[in-house]
Amino acid sequence: MKVYVVRIGGNFEAALGKAFREMCRGDKICLQNLFSSGVLSLKVNTLGGPKISTSPSLASSLAKVALSAGSGEVIIWDRSEWELKRAGYRIKRRGKIKVIATDSPRVGYWDRLFTYGEVGSLFSRIQVFADASISLAVLKDHDMAGVTLSMKNYYGAIHNPNKYHDDGCDPFIPQVFLTRPVSSRHTLSIIDATRAQFHRGPSYHSRWFAKPGVLILGRDPVAVDHFGWRLIEKLRARAGLPSLKEEGREPHWIFTAEKMGIGKTKYQVVEL
Amino acid sequence: MKRRDFLKLLGAGLVIPSLEFEAEAKNAPDLSHHEARYYEKLPDRRVRCLLCPRLCIVGDKERGYCGVRENQGGKYVSLVYGRPVTLAIDPIEKKPLFHFLPGRKAFSIATAGCNVNCKFCQNWEISQVRPEQVRFYKIPPGQTAQLAYKYAAPIIAYTYSEPIIFVEYMLDTASFATRLGIRNVIITGAHVRPKPWKDILAAMDGVKIDLKAFTEEFYRKIVRGNLKPVLDAIVMAAESGKWLEIVYLVIPGLNDNMKDIKRMSRWMVKNIGPDVPVHFSRFFPMYLLKNLPSTPVRTLERAREVAMGEGIKFVYVGNVPGHPAETTYCPKCKRALIKRVGYEIKEFNIKHGKCKFCGEKIPGVWS
Repeated sequence: MKVYVVRIGGNFEAALGKAFREMCRGDKICLQNLFSSGVLSLKVNTLGGPKISTSPSLASSLAKVALSAGSGEVIIWDRSEWELKRAGYRIKRRGKIKVIATDSPRVGYWDRLFTYGEVGSLFSRIQVFADASISLAVLKDHDMAGVTLSMKNYYGAIHNPNKYHDDGCDPFIPQVFLTRPVSSRHTLSIIDATRAQFHRGPSYHSRWFAKPGVLILGRDPVAVDHFGWRLIEKLRARAGLPSLKEEGREPHWIFTAEKMGIGKTKYQVVEL
Repeated sequence: MKRRDFLKLLGAGLVIPSLEFEAEAKNAPDLSHHEARYYEKLPDRRVRCLLCPRLCIVGDKERGYCGVRENQGGKYVSLVYGRPVTLAIDPIEKKPLFHFLPGRKAFSIATAGCNVNCKFCQNWEISQVRPEQVRFYKIPPGQTAQLAYKYAAPIIAYTYSEPIIFVEYMLDTASFATRLGIRNVIITGAHVRPKPWKDILAAMDGVKIDLKAFTEEFYRKIVRGNLKPVLDAIVMAAESGKWLEIVYLVIPGLNDNMKDIKRMSRWMVKNIGPDVPVHFSRFFPMYLLKNLPSTPVRTLERAREVAMGEGIKFVYVGNVPGHPAETTYCPKCKRALIKRVGYEIKEFNIKHGKCKFCGEKIPGVWS
């Protein structure tokens, strides 16, 4: 498995183009598998407000790339319109690229409980009715999970995320990922690491904020999240902070996810 | 929430046909930002909730396990203060409270949220959701008490979800209600810390506690909580002098071990006395336990026999309408004192708190 790390030089579209060319090497089926010809969900993370949310221009660039690769429709979304707006997104309910939220009119949660292991949740209709799903997360420390990256981003798709933060979110993050609405649709993990909150996340604290200036992409969510975690550890070490393990917040759920067969923590890093 | 779902959720309860409420129903931006009680501030805009034994440490912009208490820039707020999701008038027997003003109506309210996650929850559509995910009303505490008064309900019941998590709203409403001569009762799992529980008990006239099992393992795996704080809360409730009843939902294969029920009954007699009524209620497949069958009535009867064998005087079988063990019997002369069918009282033979036939004093709040 490969993790692609793209330095953002110019615009996001160019960086994404470079990453997908490397990932698929001209293979159209590979691109179709990533983006689907139907409805593509781009789940962003806007919990942290304007300073530490998935960049709106990244989401919009990815949506354009997806449309040009054959997606029929792209929905950029999160839990609430209010959070999206606060993070700089403009709500757009019409067109091939929509920006909406679970709390938008006529969206809501689908009224069927999906279960996996200890998890039992309702899912946003956007997640349930999409044909493919890309997790477009942010690089953040998390006071309970250790880090919040592409897999935990799907907590924003369920109605009861507050129930799954015990024990460092382990094994809940992998279990949410393995519920049908996520596991059967997820095609790609992307971490927006142009900015990072490497301590006291998931909210914004200027003291522990950095700008690594990269995107981390890959089809293996475990590999991508593992790489994101290592990057957070580097930023912490550079700032003289103890490691997450030393703070008792090591993200064990990444290894649980590996044990559950979601992906691997051994991977090749491709820097672009 | 659709009206039909609303009615279904409330079962036999009478939903107030209130167009005035419908018009006032609000969506997410109208959640309350009432500062919570029972928390302490931590460095870097974090807080520690001191309401329940979880002691959630909550980062800025995050919520506690209950989903209704949020850290907003280092200030912990209740999102559900004055934001009930249900308002209904129920018979007090539905709670169930069998020795507390029998036959009276209870104005029953709940907000969204709960501090545990029972896999068998019967009200999960409101208890296991965040407040912005359900339709709610905007009714401050004073107005809530006034509504109960307007509908001539002598009791307000804080119920359906977990009232502990809307403690601020509950305490303020109870204060208004008391001034109007209305009694207050709480229907709770009692997964709570001693300080808030003491304050709640002081404001209540009656308490019904759901003791969900008598093993830590069940609480950890099925309830996602702990047994010990619940037992402590039960003892505190008994010592407070407020009227107390216990409900034990019997779930096939999970908490129907008669040895555990025997241990529990002994514990009750020793710690809260034999006069506290106990209800063994029938489980129906719900929420995350739809794979289990309903409890056989015989299991409930056996549990009742075990509890009475250990000395508990008033033991009932619940959720089996028409069962003889819905009736209150005099522990001395064994005659039927309160004959019930479902939530309806067919016969009442208690006078001035005593058995009409033999004069035995019957514990409870009768007037």
